[in-house]
Amino acid sequence: MRPGWALRLLAFCGYALLLAPVIVVALISFSAGDFLTFPPPGFSTRWYEALFANGQLMAALQRSAILASVVAVIALLAGLPAAYAIARLRFPGRDAIAMLIAAPLLLPTLVLGLALLLALQPLKLAATWPGLVLAHSMVALPFAVRIMTTAFGAVPREVEEAAWTLGATPMRAALRITLPIAAPGAAAAGALCFLVSFDETVISLFLVGPRLSTLPVEMFRYVETRTDPLVAALAMALIGVALAVVLLVERLVGFNRALGRS
Amino acid sequence: MSAALLLLPAVLILAAGFLYPVALLGRISLNRTSDIGAMEPDLTLATFEKVVGDDFTWELAWNTATLAAGSALAATALALPVVLLIRAAPPRWRGLLSLMAIAPLLVSGTARIVGWLAILGDQGLINAMLEGLGLTSEPVRLINNWTGVRIGLTESLMPYACLVLIAGLGRLDPRLEEAAATLGATRTKTFLRVTLPLAAPALLAAFLLTFVLGVSAFITPRLMGGGRVFVVATEIFDLALETVDWPAAAALAMLLLGALAVALVLRTALMRSARA
Amino acid sequence: MTHLRLEGLTRRFAGTPHPAVDGVSLELPRGALLALLGPSGCGKTTTLRMIAGLEVPDTGRVVVADRDVTALPPHRRNMGVVFQSYALFPHMTAAANVAFGLEMRGIPRAERQARVAEALDLVGLRDYAARKPSKLSGGQQQRVALARALAIRPDLLLLDEPLSALDAKLREGVRDEIRALQQRVGATTVFVTHDQTEALAMADLVAVMNEGRVEQLGTPEEVFERPATRFVATFVGRAARLPGKVEAPGVVHCGAVAVKAAATPAPGASVELFIRPHHIRPLAEGHSADNALDAQVLRRTFTGDVVALECATPAGTLTAELHGGTPGASAAVGSRLRLGFAAQDVRVFPA
Repeated sequence: MRPGWALRLLAFCGYALLLAPVIVVALISFSAGDFLTFPPPGFSTRWYEALFANGQLMAALQRSAILASVVAVIALLAGLPAAYAIARLRFPGRDAIAMLIAAPLLLPTLVLGLALLLALQPLKLAATWPGLVLAHSMVALPFAVRIMTTAFGAVPREVEEAAWTLGATPMRAALRITLPIAAPGAAAAGALCFLVSFDETVISLFLVGPRLSTLPVEMFRYVETRTDPLVAALAMALIGVALAVVLLVERLVGFNRALGRS
Repeated sequence: MSAALLLLPAVLILAAGFLYPVALLGRISLNRTSDIGAMEPDLTLATFEKVVGDDFTWELAWNTATLAAGSALAATALALPVVLLIRAAPPRWRGLLSLMAIAPLLVSGTARIVGWLAILGDQGLINAMLEGLGLTSEPVRLINNWTGVRIGLTESLMPYACLVLIAGLGRLDPRLEEAAATLGATRTKTFLRVTLPLAAPALLAAFLLTFVLGVSAFITPRLMGGGRVFVVATEIFDLALETVDWPAAAALAMLLLGALAVALVLRTALMRSARA
Repeated sequence: MTHLRLEGLTRRFAGTPHPAVDGVSLELPRGALLALLGPSGCGKTTTLRMIAGLEVPDTGRVVVADRDVTALPPHRRNMGVVFQSYALFPHMTAAANVAFGLEMRGIPRAERQARVAEALDLVGLRDYAARKPSKLSGGQQQRVALARALAIRPDLLLLDEPLSALDAKLREGVRDEIRALQQRVGATTVFVTHDQTEALAMADLVAVMNEGRVEQLGTPEEVFERPATRFVATFVGRAARLPGKVEAPGVVHCGAVAVKAAATPAPGASVELFIRPHHIRPLAEGHSADNALDAQVLRRTFTGDVVALECATPAGTLTAELHGGTPGASAAVGSRLRLGFAAQDVRVFPA
């Protein structure tokens, strides 16, 4: 049945609410004005220039990119074998382990951040790289395991069994056959883990210090204190990185394959 | 290949980064804060008593619950026409329309709040329109108050509502509505008598999920409220980092977790009865 | 000389009331092809997987060339397996698929390449060596799987429904190819199928399986002409089934008449008679048979090379299958004739 005009109107309102902030951020990042005035008094790239000239924010961007890369690698290294075990092996307590690995997603990030602060501060690990890496790896891990469990599950068991019958040990079969076939899923999982870490704000707020801060935290602090279009340019930079990562995955493996739909 | 060995790295990360911290959170909620504000190791419910006995806590709880309920309701109600449109759209449009509905999830929450500040601020889009139309002479305050927080939270919850509804309504056969139409029902009647009752379980699921997410939301209340809006999440943050009263922060966090656990149990029970 | 011996193989899956495989024992000479034939769920694939080491038996032994391999994991058994889905490695070329098993055995590159070429030649796919499985037809994929299994020079070749994924048109040709190839390389082979034509056409020995047990092990002729159990008689080939009661040794009362049979249980037993349609033929005037019955044609079904006549007789409804052109093949519905069949072609099983 074709949608009626009432449905179209209401759906338009819904989409307007969903997309308005992103569109406005994009426009206002090119504002020539001094404040978050909309419509902007004129257009320029002055706030992008200001962003690139801002040493503090650029350093935070670099730190966030490094942190997110390290987290993606760790989450994959820990998540791949765990996902393989959950998808392929039978062992007692498998369901309990799967639930434990998904558990961090059930708790509010605010509570996780507080808990990590209380745990890491006495160990002098708050506001340190190891502390941030541990915290971000913990929140990224469930995503990596979930995607990879699906990806490994989509590799037919018979293919792995065929490798065994041809003389491959279970370890070699997993590394030579199952892992390469599930590689698009691993690429998607790595990209998602990167983004989870790169955009993570709340937990980081508890764990950063004056000398070690991430870009989302810097942006949060900036919005708390000032309202000029620099922060819109910064928001665009974050969106740009997210988009670049998504496109990279698409380019490398194709989205449908990455999501295991091919 | 041993399963234990394969699971070891993941379990180590979770033990160090999740189980130990959360257990410690529970332990610290049983400590006490001395009169000079230092934490004293103890095994007492005194902090819980202090938090629960404080009228401010109940005000926060009420604020949080009403904010989350209102925003979750609005997000679910606004997501419904979006998802119905996706469902009725030609197949080649469906992918793009779905992507547009959940795309905001890929954009950091803070970035979207910058957009709302530009739309709702004193010099923002809405006020410019209102003044341009001659409806107001003074800017209407839409940020740094509850109005701004409600709008921002509704928007940030909508993609989740869309996800739940897309999954829930996708299973619904569109021919049912066509059947109603052939039997003489108008669009409105079809919606009220066929679509809405069939969509009810999905709507309930969407509301409950967004409610739970809304209860623990922090970034939106903090930034859209401009420090003038207080909910449980902002209070936990302030207790931990401004007041540095760890036992109180931990106790409030434990109470929040308890409330979420109750909500989760209620949700499971409600979903089961809705499906039956 | 016995090459493969199964001794009381039993496997029970958790949560199922009956064992999937229940005490399977059999012996297979070197170079022979054994078909495990049975309906789905009869345990034939589980038996094959236990031979390959992909499934561990609860009890029983798998013995290959007098060596007990029951405890060996699949990668140490040296058995070439062709899976129902072929299970080709999608990220490797046909040549790399075939080379995989040789690589696992640490065979040097030069020899490996020679043996890959040899195996691909054997299945006629030398020109397709560089293609990925997704760029091969179903029949070609099947042959790559076969080449991959043969390249390791396996002690046993195991085929799990290798024809089921192919078009009906291709099946007969591939069936003959596999048989010819198997005989050329002399591989002792176990072949799982639910298709009796495949089993009868290809195998040296057929094991008919039902509910986890081997009902009969014999040559295709034995299984078809002298079914040992009622199940085998029903599952392999078609037959008219008539209820009756044994009157005297060699005589069964059936409907309104006495039917002569070669072997019967003790008199008084309730039995079922099985008579294959191709054993029943119309009797010309003056001819006779062990059993001769008056019949009236109820239905005539023409299927090309064969005409099936479903007839009412005093013993019950019988179907005769005649080749076109043989006397009686043109009998019309309602016409009367005499049908005859030999006592040795009547199989009698307790009801």
